[in-house]
Formats: sequence, structure tokens, C-alpha cells
Amino acid sequence: MESKTRKMTSLAIASAFAASVAAVGATPAVAADDMVKCYGIAKKGENDCKAGPGTSCSGSSTVDYQGNAWKLVKKGTCTQVSTPFGPGSLTCLATRPTGQNYQCG
Amino acid sequence: MSRLSDTQTGFAHAVFNADAAVPEGIVSHLRRQPRKRFGVYRNNVYVSLISVLEGRFPVVSRLLGEDFFKATARVFVEHHPPTSPVLMRYGGGFSEFLETFEPVADLPWLADVARLEWAWNLAYHAADKDPVAPEALAAIEPASAGSLVFELHPAVQLVRSAFPVVSIWSEHSKDGEPEHIDAGAGGEDGLIVRPGIAVEVRHLPRGGAAFISALAGGKTLGEAAEVALDEEASFDLQANLAGLIASGAIAGLRPA
Repeated sequence: MESKTRKMTSLAIASAFAASVAAVGATPAVAADDMVKCYGIAKKGENDCKAGPGTSCSGSSTVDYQGNAWKLVKKGTCTQVSTPFGPGSLTCLATRPTGQNYQCG
Repeated sequence: MSRLSDTQTGFAHAVFNADAAVPEGIVSHLRRQPRKRFGVYRNNVYVSLISVLEGRFPVVSRLLGEDFFKATARVFVEHHPPTSPVLMRYGGGFSEFLETFEPVADLPWLADVARLEWAWNLAYHAADKDPVAPEALAAIEPASAGSLVFELHPAVQLVRSAFPVVSIWSEHSKDGEPEHIDAGAGGEDGLIVRPGIAVEVRHLPRGGAAFISALAGGKTLGEAAEVALDEEASFDLQANLAGLIASGAIAGLRPA
């Protein structure tokens, strides 16, 4: 049951299909020699037991990192992306963009 | 006598609530200091989860800088501890969290970058499957193509954004100093595929995302083309279909 006017005829679909199959041709999406199965590819930090710096006794500090986290500045590359609010900031902006005041330290 | 499940619940609560009392039954070799020792344990839980998020959202981390990212991730971990013991499933709510997180409110595109990185992760861990063979496509009678139903590859993910999310992601995934990007340059939709073992992110032409999500929803090729044309009058079926086939996003097809 087709009630609305179709924008594409079945002929147009048929020719688009034939052309796109021909365009892709006989090249498989995956070359056979790309398919190398390997183990040991778990991403960093996702093994169950991560030994090393930071995991031993650094929690013995009683400082609550969260409480002063927003005195931190974004030192990354976000300034390379401009936004309607202006570029990403290198300094804490207490009132942007909502006007609400959060602590800048 | 307390049950094991009560003990576990109480312990988990104390791990994720810095103000909570040290759980009952925790002792340390220095009898006066169970709080300090439990703090070490708690921090190790946080550090490991923050490091998982850092590995999962490398572009968000690069955009914010390491310190700012870690501090952001810490707040996320505190409010959204894992609900599955499988670490590869951790971080699914991070983009929604960023949307409401005040300190990054001046980067309105950031949540979409996180969404793309999460989609990348889903594609990375999706089931293996061979894309449909070119011969199988060539054997289809074109006149019947409009009533074909496609089975998309298990790794296929779509990310639609009002910001140039694919450009931001790809520019900041490369080594070297990123080029400047205008976030107001218009929205971009991305297709994430993994035909073999390598995840690929492709920038979709206009109408492509509507087309692919219609196909994913079980619509026929003809119906999906209509949906895409409704959204985008300049939708090019041939280019979109060729791109979909070439990217290995189609795993099978059958007549409706």
C-alpha cells in the first residue's frame, strides 16, 4: 500500500543499484592479506590487573581531587576548534556559557 | 550475622562515596589506620577506571589535556561506576555525562566526539563477519533491487552531529599539530565500520545517515531511498550505495 508519491521510480533504483555494484567492481572490501587475526590486542589499561605507577599508594593522600579540579585549565588542543561561545578556553571561565558562577579558584 | 551480599554492597558503596565510613570489618596492619589503607584501595579503583576511559576516549583526552581529562573522568567514575564486570563495556554514558558537565559547557561539540569514540569502541568489539561478496551483488537482478532488504555488518555504527564531528575527530586522531576547525561549519554524520580488524570512520554524504538507519531498521532499498530523499533532496542513491558496499558495511541481502 503506497499512498504517497514516490520520489524514485523502480527503474531509477535499478540503474543506481547496477551502477554502484559496477563502480565497486570485484574489489572486496577487505583484502585477504589484511585479515590477520592476532591476540594481545587488548587496548591499554583494559587488562584486569594494571600494575605500575599510580596504582600503588597514591591514594594515601587525603586530598579530594574533585574539589579543586575545576581550577584546572584545558591544556589540550580544544583551542583549535572554535565554537559559538568562542574558542576552547585556556583559563577557567567562571560564567560561560550559562552565566552560572562556578568556582575558578 | 551479615550476609555476603550486604557486605559487598556496603563495600562498593564506600568505594564510590568518598564521605562514607570505612566499611565494617576492614582492618589494617596498623590498627589505627584502616581509613588510610582503604583510601589507597579506593584510589586504585579510580585510577584503573580513569585509565580505561583515557584509552577509550583518546581524542576527548587530547582535546581537554591530560589533567583536565583525568579530573573529568574521576567525576564520571564517581557518579557512574561500572555496572558490568566487563571493562570493554565501560564508558557508554560518558558522552551524556559531558553534555551536562558544566566545566566543559563551552565545548558543545565535545559530547559528540565522545559519542563517536564510543561508537568506535563498539565497532572494535563487535562480532566478526565477512562483508557480502561482490559476486553476490553482481548476481542480483537490478530490476528487483528496490525490494531488497540488507543485513548490515555487526560493527556498523552511525553518529549524527550538528557539529563537524568527523573532522574534529580525524584532525585530532592524527599525529602533529591539528588544523583549526570551525565548529560552526555545519553538522557531519559519520559511519563507523570494521570490515576486517581495523575500525574505519567515514564522513557520510548528506542523507546517508537517514538512508543507512532506514536500512538498519529493515526497510527495503526503495523505502530507504525515499526516507533519505525526504530528509535531503540532493540525496544521491548511487553514490551512497556504492560507498556502503565499498566500506564493507553490508553483510548480506535478501528479497523482502
